[in-house]
Amino acid sequence: MNIDYSQELPVIERSITLADIDRLIAKPLDEKPDKKFFIALSITLTLLLIGAVSVTYLFLNGTGVWGLNQPVGWAFDITNFVFWVGIGHAGTLISAVLYLLRQKWRTGIARFAEAMTIFAVMCAGIFPVIHTGRPWLAGYLMPYPNQHGLWVNFTSPLVWDVFAVSTYFTVSLVFWYVGLIPDFGILRDKTASKLKKTIYSIFSLGWRNSHRNWQHYEKAYMLLAGFATPLVLSVHTIVSFDFAVSIIPGWHTTIFPPYFVAGAIFSGFAMVVTVLIFVRKVFDLQEIITVNHLEKMNKIILVTGSMVGYAYGMEFFIAWYSGNPFEQFVFINRAFGPYAWAYWIMVSCNVIIPQLFWFKKIRRTIPAMLVIVILVNVGMWFERFVITVSSLHRDFLPSSWGYFVPSIFDLGTLIGSFGLFFTLVLIFTKTLPVVAMSEIKAVAEGAQPSHNGGKH
Amino acid sequence: MADQNFSQNDKPEANYWRSFEELYEDQKTLEAKKHEFTEGVTDDFSVDKNLSGLSRRKFIALLSASAALAGAGCSDYRDKGEVIPYNVKPEEVNPGKPDYYASTCNGCLQNCGILVKTREGRPIKIDGNPDHPINKGKVCAKGEASILNLYDPSRLQFPLVKSGGIFEKTSWENVDSKIKNSLDSAAGSEIAIITHRVNSPTTKKLLEEFKIKYPSAKIYSYDIFHNEIKNSAWKKCYGGDVFPLIKWDEANIILSLEGDFLGVEGNVVEQMRLFANRKDVNNVKSFNRLYVAEGNMSLTGMNADYRFRVRPDQQLSFVLSLLNELTSKKNITSTAIDANTKNLISGFSLKDFASKNGVDYKKLSLLVNDLAANRGSAMVYGGRALDEQTQIAVNLLNEVLGNTKLYNADQTDVAHSVYNSMDECKALVASMNAGKVKTVIHFDANPVYHFSKDIQYEKALSKVSTVITLTEFENETAFASTYVLPINHTLESWGDYNVRTGVYSLQQPVISPIYKTRQKEAVILNWISDNPKNYSEKLYLDYLKTNWQQNIFPKVSSPFTFEKFWVGALHDGVITTKEKAVIDLSFSSVSLSGIKPSKDSSNFTVLITESYRLSDGRFSNNGWLQELPHPVSKVTWDNYAAISEKSAKALSIKNNDLVEIKFDKKKITLPVILQPGVAENFIAVESGYGRKHSGIIAEESGVNVQPLYNTTANTNTPWVLTNVSVSKVASSHKVISTQDHQNFDDTLTKDAHIKRDIIQEGTVLQFLKNPGFLHEGKEQHVPNMYDDFAYNDVKWGMSIDLNRCIGCGNCVAACNVENNIPVVGKEQVEKGREMMWLRIDRYYSGTPEEPKVAVQPMLCQHCDQAPCENVCPVAATQHSPDGLNQMVYNRCVGTRYCSNNCPYKVRRFNFLNFRDYVAGGHYLEDSVSLMHNPEVTVRSRGVMEKCSFCIQRIMEARSEAIGKNQPLKGSDVQTACQVSCGTEAIKFGNINDKNEEFYQYRNHKLGYYVLEELNVKPNVTYLAKLRNTHSEEV
Amino acid sequence: MNANKLFGLTALFNTPDELVHAAAKVNELGYKNYDVHTPYPLHGMDAVMKLKPSKLGYITLSFGLSGAAFALLFMYWAMSIDYPMIIGGKPYFALPAFVPITFEVTVLFATLATVIGMLAFYFKFPSNSHPLHDTPYMKAVSSDKYGICIEADDVLFDFEKVNLLFKELHAQTISEVYFPAVERTNIFEPKFLTLLVLIALLTSGATYVTLNKLIYLTPFDWMMNQNRVNAQSKSLFYTDGFGMRKPVEGTVARNYIPYEYKGLAAPVVPLSNPLTPTNEVMNLGKKRYLTFCSPCHGNLGDGDSRLRGQFPNPPSLHSEKVRGWLDGNIYHVIVNGQNVMPSYASQLSRDERWAVIHYIRALQKAKNASPSEIIEAKKEISSNVAP
Repeated sequence: MNIDYSQELPVIERSITLADIDRLIAKPLDEKPDKKFFIALSITLTLLLIGAVSVTYLFLNGTGVWGLNQPVGWAFDITNFVFWVGIGHAGTLISAVLYLLRQKWRTGIARFAEAMTIFAVMCAGIFPVIHTGRPWLAGYLMPYPNQHGLWVNFTSPLVWDVFAVSTYFTVSLVFWYVGLIPDFGILRDKTASKLKKTIYSIFSLGWRNSHRNWQHYEKAYMLLAGFATPLVLSVHTIVSFDFAVSIIPGWHTTIFPPYFVAGAIFSGFAMVVTVLIFVRKVFDLQEIITVNHLEKMNKIILVTGSMVGYAYGMEFFIAWYSGNPFEQFVFINRAFGPYAWAYWIMVSCNVIIPQLFWFKKIRRTIPAMLVIVILVNVGMWFERFVITVSSLHRDFLPSSWGYFVPSIFDLGTLIGSFGLFFTLVLIFTKTLPVVAMSEIKAVAEGAQPSHNGGKH
Repeated sequence: MADQNFSQNDKPEANYWRSFEELYEDQKTLEAKKHEFTEGVTDDFSVDKNLSGLSRRKFIALLSASAALAGAGCSDYRDKGEVIPYNVKPEEVNPGKPDYYASTCNGCLQNCGILVKTREGRPIKIDGNPDHPINKGKVCAKGEASILNLYDPSRLQFPLVKSGGIFEKTSWENVDSKIKNSLDSAAGSEIAIITHRVNSPTTKKLLEEFKIKYPSAKIYSYDIFHNEIKNSAWKKCYGGDVFPLIKWDEANIILSLEGDFLGVEGNVVEQMRLFANRKDVNNVKSFNRLYVAEGNMSLTGMNADYRFRVRPDQQLSFVLSLLNELTSKKNITSTAIDANTKNLISGFSLKDFASKNGVDYKKLSLLVNDLAANRGSAMVYGGRALDEQTQIAVNLLNEVLGNTKLYNADQTDVAHSVYNSMDECKALVASMNAGKVKTVIHFDANPVYHFSKDIQYEKALSKVSTVITLTEFENETAFASTYVLPINHTLESWGDYNVRTGVYSLQQPVISPIYKTRQKEAVILNWISDNPKNYSEKLYLDYLKTNWQQNIFPKVSSPFTFEKFWVGALHDGVITTKEKAVIDLSFSSVSLSGIKPSKDSSNFTVLITESYRLSDGRFSNNGWLQELPHPVSKVTWDNYAAISEKSAKALSIKNNDLVEIKFDKKKITLPVILQPGVAENFIAVESGYGRKHSGIIAEESGVNVQPLYNTTANTNTPWVLTNVSVSKVASSHKVISTQDHQNFDDTLTKDAHIKRDIIQEGTVLQFLKNPGFLHEGKEQHVPNMYDDFAYNDVKWGMSIDLNRCIGCGNCVAACNVENNIPVVGKEQVEKGREMMWLRIDRYYSGTPEEPKVAVQPMLCQHCDQAPCENVCPVAATQHSPDGLNQMVYNRCVGTRYCSNNCPYKVRRFNFLNFRDYVAGGHYLEDSVSLMHNPEVTVRSRGVMEKCSFCIQRIMEARSEAIGKNQPLKGSDVQTACQVSCGTEAIKFGNINDKNEEFYQYRNHKLGYYVLEELNVKPNVTYLAKLRNTHSEEV
Repeated sequence: MNANKLFGLTALFNTPDELVHAAAKVNELGYKNYDVHTPYPLHGMDAVMKLKPSKLGYITLSFGLSGAAFALLFMYWAMSIDYPMIIGGKPYFALPAFVPITFEVTVLFATLATVIGMLAFYFKFPSNSHPLHDTPYMKAVSSDKYGICIEADDVLFDFEKVNLLFKELHAQTISEVYFPAVERTNIFEPKFLTLLVLIALLTSGATYVTLNKLIYLTPFDWMMNQNRVNAQSKSLFYTDGFGMRKPVEGTVARNYIPYEYKGLAAPVVPLSNPLTPTNEVMNLGKKRYLTFCSPCHGNLGDGDSRLRGQFPNPPSLHSEKVRGWLDGNIYHVIVNGQNVMPSYASQLSRDERWAVIHYIRALQKAKNASPSEIIEAKKEISSNVAP
């Protein structure tokens, strides 16, 4: 089919009344959760339990229960951290950047993506804490006045992380909540149950849909979006500094900030698509979260995937071009050394497979894109694994080379993080409107005044 | 007022000053004296003035409030443990300050003098005794780590008696009386005492007295590693009893034939010192040149300038070929070579030998030239494992070359009890089986483990009614005995040793027995005493003293009384007498007949060597030694069959595969390591492993190779097994090493250490031609982003001389003891979590057949621009004003970022509470806590740690300097590794002090930093190794 | 309906266009206190209502900048003034390293300020008791209707007029909104109080356990109990509990050759004093004498014990005998003790003993100085004491 690109596609497929939108979106909140939901929840909770068990065991015995060693001091822990932070980025990007770019289609998915951001950052935040040898002292990473009269080392990228991630979390949360206020208002006025009403009232803070408020509201939303955009870039830049600031060949690379950000968006969108495919089905939101949305995201996946691929190539080029023997060794070792398997999984999943999105057909067929985006997620996890482990396991002195083998507790923690993420997502779908009602209404057909000033 | 008094009336007696101040009429004092009972202390406190406005109500309120507050605040207050002082403090002990006691190590037959550091009466560290003329303040790794044996929880703690197959705890009194009876009743039937070689004059006397008391007693002494073959060969050639000492430091050329004189043969500590004396970077001209011809890759071979792969069973023809080459080509003549010797050796051509054994003839001719050119100042050393004929040939070669000059003429090892040959042991077993032996006393010996299978000693023991074993730890023999008597550790015992002519070394206890143990001499002494009931701790001390008074005191013409002499001797730990050894160096030509050039058999030859760490197995329960990597292969916790790559391919085996080694009906199975530099069709195995009963630590460590021992012909040696059949077993056993076995054909990793300038080398000629060669064409100064931090006062630095370092690992052992380094156990080493702060890196270059080996001690480099510091989020590691990279354990949260960012990977992380993990918390027992250095934190899990340059020693030195109010000098501090380094390779001191000896090493032309281009500015300087080859390029 | 005070009059419309039209009209009629309520922001409504652009941006700007300043200054203070440390050879104030955090703090301050500013300052939120809440009007506008409300406190407000106006504008529905009846809830409800008590108990209990129990368990105890024996501490290994052991009888420690004449009545050859009586030595001797000797021998050594006869007084140190003694004899007494005097070997180190002997000598000299000597002494002092 050929589309006339001169005018934007309608955001909502068949035109539905504003009331319908309310009903549709609020449906999962009003109804009792069905069987499907509980099955899904039980699965995610099992994963979460696995994670809980492994973390408990970790706390009881020490970091040694993982496969870590000299020289590989970081492996799954930091890999997971970077992976989850990356996942988070798509949300902010969709809600903030696309907002600034006046992309109307974002409205359908923004709320959901933001939620995923928050949950992903929660998952990410766990790892810096549990990866320490003495987690009960993790508070030392915060600059608080203490009896030692000692502050933190502000020159350490890990401290930057603490600030970046916590700021990122706070801002995302605030951004998300601000978006939710009007919807809370709607729900408050819709619901019949007294309890729900109280809760919604509290969260709506007494929102009155007053235009005098709308005016400031939109301004604030704009400002937040304006800040969230550089923030999201800075966060993954700083995360990449964890590596780039060190002197280990394979880490000490100036390309990392853009490379990481691209990767983050890449994986983030992949994750959003993965989840949305199910959500729109389960809560039949096909009209609101349309295939067009998905296709648009797939396009972004294709772009960012290619950027990541470019970064891979560029790393090799620079390694060769720099003439630095350590650098050269690391990259040859990456591709052909003991961790070659991980490297090639990464390349095929991140660079080769997404190229399929050049075909419109594949972009628009659900099963195909599902397979691809899942592979992309796998690939992006491995990218972080390769960067972390393959650089560490063979650094400067051949005498101290080693090899990292994950233990079951490494895997347990990884699984657990997924469990936590999806559990939160499930709960979210049942407790909050997965689509921004007021925003959707605003972009519905005939929602805005026709410009003849309403004379008739 | 004193003044007034005086002027009024001159009464001197009433007139003395009470203090210097008063004498000097210090106004303050006088004032103070006036107001001694100054009025009004109570006056200015009046109830109504001070307490006005504070009503009773308020007061009580306040009172109760503060009470409540106090109650809340102090609720459940934790006290930091009791303070338990001495009731009467011994004069020499000052709490918090160490004491030092001179004593003697009994870890091996060399009995080095040691200086034991004690804290509050507990030994915590063993170093060499600087006053000892032989080991001069150094000990080996075994000696360093042997302190762990003292506190080892699996020591035997009380006498045991076997009844009905099981051992029961019992009392000494009980055992003594029982045994005494059985001894008395044993009259007629033989009482066999089985012991290792006895170096103690007093113990010998004691045993003699035992024989007098019980005439039927017979003493058998054995060691599974000894010099007897060399000695007997020497006797045949020169008539002396023992092979003389060699003046290693006077040899320009050393040719070692399967001889590990830097590793395990003879007094290694002394030999490595003498050897390294000729590796002085300030006098490069005098460098010695080491040729090694060996089948095994030994520590000595690792340090060779030229190395030939020659199997032990080829050594004889090698030596003869050399003789031939020298006499014929270099026409060196000597009376020592008579006619038939001449025509014998004429049958041996060096060329043929070279071609037959795949040795490079060019290199051999270099050797021949050197030997010819350095006659009288070269030394050919035949390893103790070589058979007698080879030894004789070696003697002959040295005689011909006139190298006998290098034999020490006036001092030699003391020939003690002549060893009992295997025949005698077999005879004993026979008479045991025949029931002629009623009592067997194992005098701290473990024959059941040591004796070869085919002697069937254990079976014979069952025929003996009373088997007594005196031992520190449970062992195989103990399990086959009726009485097991726990004996003192060296550090709990009195004793004396005489290993060299005129050197008498004393042993004094530094702690009273921590368990119900007695020292082995005292036990025997008690049995031959009239009444065993009145045993006392001092029993053997008195015996020792009397013996010294009678026999040793006269030898030293001392001006003092014996008491004074004795105290002095104990203080020094060693005395020397005027005794001289008589060594006759007149060669009596011997017949070397019936020797054919041996065909190189395709069958395997096996060499059994002494373990570098466990010696003959006596240290197998010592975790530190088990974990201390093998100096060459870096393997820990296991022994293995070292085999060459080619031979392995032929058998189609790879690392960790199991092979079965079969030698006349005896066979063992053990894992394989492909060891570069090992001869073809040759396998080297280490003894001392595979102990069945020796405590929990040694369980499942290695394979027992004793069964293989060659007990057949006497001419042949017990350690060299020829015509061995080796076959692959369809199974494997992972052998763990701290450094992966280098892959020679991987172009990516090959010679990485050279390409990366980690190891920088040159040759002597190169250096003599151009001393500055190392730094030529290299960027001397890497630009800096910030100005350097100014360290104006003391700044600590270290220099490590790779010419002197032989990679023995003594420093690592010393560091472990000094810094409370935990043992992590085999599976943790496998994961790569060993905790040693100091490690010795070993690199191969060249080919797997002819590898060039380089060793490099690697420890925290205390970089000025330390990468680890920048990344620590909590500032747990930063720099001290004296240039140390500090690690603040209690601030560390354990992110491991510092370790990741350390280019040298010298940081160690407590992934677990390792003490809790090894052998079920073995090293968490209370006894071990007595050993730990109180000045060093025992780190908890989750904390990063690393070399601290022994900061506790720096602090001690500093406080002393402050006490004396002198400036702290660099030479005031000696790190543990430095003290232990037998070759003085490690120097430590103040970088800023130009007049220190250290300074010249720090700024030596050969000095370089590892990974210099990273510009992290390390404070450890390495002096590049100069190989003493004939060429200029490496 | 209830007879409450009137809040205002509301009208609902079906389409945004109608609302825009209505708002324009109301505005044109000069009403001030009116507001339009829409399910979503209506574009162009600002213009119609003649609203001034929002000033929110200024809050954002000012807080953002102050955040940046605060972060940078704090890091500077912490790293180079409060607790400077040499880290990686960097200068104390390594600016590049401080940039990321400065940026993050800026963003944090700015965003929080914006949102809180908007909600609290502009919206006066939370305000769940607003009269418009729970009205059919509000329900309608929050779903799909477009409403306008003119408040009663507007100067121009007149019920009839407004009603008429809305009718003219074809309002779909018109309704009055009244202030709700104010109801009070009592804080001292038993429920609420019990809740408070429970929370108090919980927090205090948790705090107690953490501070008094948890942090003393390994490994949470900051390595307070380590597997080693410190000086003067208890040993779990030895049943007698002494961590400090006595050296074995008969052993000789380095630099501690035992005193030759220990136990003898008198030294065979009295040792001679190795120390020269320098100022330090004298002061040391005095200190030690006053600490260890003076209790019995008296401050001046003439045997006037300070123990008020609880202990037999020793003879004076000024006796002919003692003055006649060699230093070695006094040393002998200090080490061995004499009659009731115990050995002071473990209290006084060797040097200290000799120093004490010097001091005793000084006392003796002082007591038995001849006038001439004293005059000499005085001369000397007056010459070398600074005025």
